Amino acid sequence: MRNFIFFIRRFFNLLLFLTLEVVCIVMIQRTETMQGNDIVSSANAVSGLVYKKQNDVVYYFGLRKMNDSLQNENARLRQLVEQYKSLDTLSDSMVFSKTQIGDTAKHIVKFSEYVYRNARVINNSTNATDNYITINRGTAHGIYKNMAVLSGTGVVGRVEHVSRNFASILSVLSAKQRVSARLKNGAYGLVVWEGNNHKVLTMIDVPQQVNVKKGDSVFTSNYSLYFPPDVLIGTVIKTEQVKKNAMQHIYIRSSTDFYNLQYVYVVENKMSEEKKQLEDSSAKKQ
Amino acid sequence: MNVYLKNILRFCIIVLLQVLILDKITLRWWSNPSGFPVFIPYVYPLFLLLLPFEMPVWALLLSGFALGISVDAFTNTAGMHACATVLIAYWRTNVLSALLPRKLTEYAGQQPSTKNMGWMPFLVYSTFLIVIHHLLFFTIELWNLSNIGHLLLKTVASTFTTMLLIIVYLLLFTRQDSSRA
Repeated sequence: MRNFIFFIRRFFNLLLFLTLEVVCIVMIQRTETMQGNDIVSSANAVSGLVYKKQNDVVYYFGLRKMNDSLQNENARLRQLVEQYKSLDTLSDSMVFSKTQIGDTAKHIVKFSEYVYRNARVINNSTNATDNYITINRGTAHGIYKNMAVLSGTGVVGRVEHVSRNFASILSVLSAKQRVSARLKNGAYGLVVWEGNNHKVLTMIDVPQQVNVKKGDSVFTSNYSLYFPPDVLIGTVIKTEQVKKNAMQHIYIRSSTDFYNLQYVYVVENKMSEEKKQLEDSSAKKQ
Repeated sequence: MNVYLKNILRFCIIVLLQVLILDKITLRWWSNPSGFPVFIPYVYPLFLLLLPFEMPVWALLLSGFALGISVDAFTNTAGMHACATVLIAYWRTNVLSALLPRKLTEYAGQQPSTKNMGWMPFLVYSTFLIVIHHLLFFTIELWNLSNIGHLLLKTVASTFTTMLLIIVYLLLFTRQDSSRA
């Protein structure tokens, strides 16, 4: 017995070393056989927590990339929805027009009537008389003058100047811009901006007999040359009777937050040229 | 600072550095896609290298095991890192006494550093142990001696990168004499 204890004391380090190595080898062996090794895996509480904390931090670095991909996804889905919207009134059924893939800008699927492209706002103003928004897309990405610009929540404006890689958008917050609009119950009017508050737009030329309630939605009308129909503009705050021409002014809370605009969609109306030509030629004849 | 507290802190920092930063970077030296293996520098044995001189072997073995298991827990390689780390923990004392001119007991209260060992002995000491660690680890990881050139290449590349990082660590965290002119 004494010899045994002496032996243990003498070779304690070696024995400990061998024991630990055997433990390691057994653990490796157990992972090789695909048995659950719960304690020593990244699924345990401590390393799981550390990895989660790390992801909470690293997550923010990926946000921009993620945002971009969600934007692409949204543009694609809007396109898809648009596809279902275009009804041919003659055949009285859905029309699936030929879908082409644009070769200049990948991830953009061209569709019959409206083509959506996403863009990031790189400059923005809300307090001038005519407010302009600059986006990071230009002719190189298929942006041209007079295309409509929407945000995720509503109308933004119309493309005014385009360079190769940038475009400036005349926002709805402008004295120059009028948007043809429609109330929920079908009455038409024009939405203008009176220039004092970036949250409030005004709808003019609505007949007095039209019954408007607070909170009613205002959409773009299908008379508009540029904007797709039924895009939300805002909700009614209050109405005001104008005595002199028997019309009423409707004040609208804009659904787009112009102050915090980050991403927008540029909408190309592929039929707008044709529509304009037709209207011009009939105007000439009169 | 208390020597226990200091080493526990260093343990946490080095393990987190290893698993949160270095494990996410897969290095490849030249961009030959098929030829050169992808590798990760394993810097965490540095903790073991910097433990105090007079630490008994059983304590070294246990802390080496704890270190290896901690890294294993994060990388899902149960036991592989621990196996390699326990081996170098066992050999550390022998390597140190072979390299140092005096007996280890004479360095009471000190830890291996470039100041009390000199740059050359310290680098020999750390390179030797790290080569052994990496060789054992990659052998266990691949578990295939048919491609021994690949294994050696991986070991050499990883050791070289690890040593670079260790030198950077030493330069950054060795306390300089404030009385230096």
